[in-house]
Amino acid sequence: MLRLQLRPGLTLAVTCLGLYVAAAAQARATRSSALSVAVAAISAPVLALANGVGVLAEDFSHGLRSLQAILAEHTHLEQEAAELRRVNQALSAEVASLRQGSRLLAAYPTLVEKAVVARVIARDVLRTHTLRLDRGRRDGIALDSAVLTENGLLGRVDSVQEHSCRVQLLTHPQAAAAARITGVAQEALLVGGDQPRITGLAPYTDVPENAQVLSTGSEGIYPPGLLLGSAGAARTDGLFTVAAVELAARASEANTVLVLQPAGRATP
Amino acid sequence: MKLALVFVLGLVLQLALTAAHLPWLLAACQPLLLVTVFAARTFSPIGVAWTGLAAGIATDIFAERIIGPGGIAGALAGIFVAGLVRRFEMQGPLFWIVGSLAAAASSELAWLAVVATLGMRPDHTWLGGLATIVMTAAAGFFVAVVELAARAWGSPARRRRRALQRL
Repeated sequence: MLRLQLRPGLTLAVTCLGLYVAAAAQARATRSSALSVAVAAISAPVLALANGVGVLAEDFSHGLRSLQAILAEHTHLEQEAAELRRVNQALSAEVASLRQGSRLLAAYPTLVEKAVVARVIARDVLRTHTLRLDRGRRDGIALDSAVLTENGLLGRVDSVQEHSCRVQLLTHPQAAAAARITGVAQEALLVGGDQPRITGLAPYTDVPENAQVLSTGSEGIYPPGLLLGSAGAARTDGLFTVAAVELAARASEANTVLVLQPAGRATP
Repeated sequence: MKLALVFVLGLVLQLALTAAHLPWLLAACQPLLLVTVFAARTFSPIGVAWTGLAAGIATDIFAERIIGPGGIAGALAGIFVAGLVRRFEMQGPLFWIVGSLAAAASSELAWLAVVATLGMRPDHTWLGGLATIVMTAAAGFFVAVVELAARAWGSPARRRRRALQRL
């Protein structure tokens, strides 16, 4: 029996040489297809699995991108909706203000010629009892101009700037207006405060409840005949009959007001 | 046994990386060359050369090329890598990174040389060779990182730290 004992290095070299010769032979001969078929058969499931993994990865990546796009769109839409809500609120306020202005102009058709429509831009009806309007000296507003809402007198202008003015409300503790009560012959004085009241009437004057309290214009600020409010229960307090007054105009609800030229003064 | 398992895994991975739905650049990666590098840890240079030869022949067969040049190139790459690793006593991440780079470069050079002596037209030129070297080295880098992470995870120091945290 022939026994070959080759060194490992030599065996490797011989194998490589054999491979080289085989490769040269393959290069010059037609290739067999059996091996190709076998390779294809072995490769097919591996390739199918790898392709499945690739498709899964592609789908995942695509889904991730879609999700990011959707989230970005969602954020954008949320911002857009918030902006639209804000605009909608502003427009609603604008419409309400315009409606109030229209009603105001309709309520005083004879005064419109000498009046300026103004918008309330700030209000403090509890502490300083004032409103700030968006009209000022440039718009013809002067000191002591009477300020009206569609329901009645609100107060007078006590401070004027170039583009704005401040209104002292009839609820101001220092506010006062000459007034008369429907059904009562005497003239009286409406004084402000947290609970406005009418005073200056002779003792034991009979004041009809819920009678209209109107301006007389004697103080030189408010035009005569404008509604101030309605009279409440009257009582005699010392030398005068005093009656509580429920003011007609509510400063807390006024958004648009009418500013009249002051009585006896010309607009600059 | 372990080498056989790694060899089969490398072969399957090498086949899988050519799948159409994976990034096309991955097809240039040669995981079977990493098997040769892996063998350099345990085998003698001749043993590594045999592993490279087997890896090269398998590559030739599954790439449906002429069987032989790949085997010869793999054997030469195996000898070169084994020599390099022993000469510089490479360990850790450097073993995988330099080993895979050297294996890919030497294998490509040897393959081109063998194909040229056979008077054949190579199926890829310098660009394909470069892609093979880069991608195989990248795979080596990946294996190095994974090995490093695995070692850090299973290190006695980490176990001690965890034991101390539980106290």
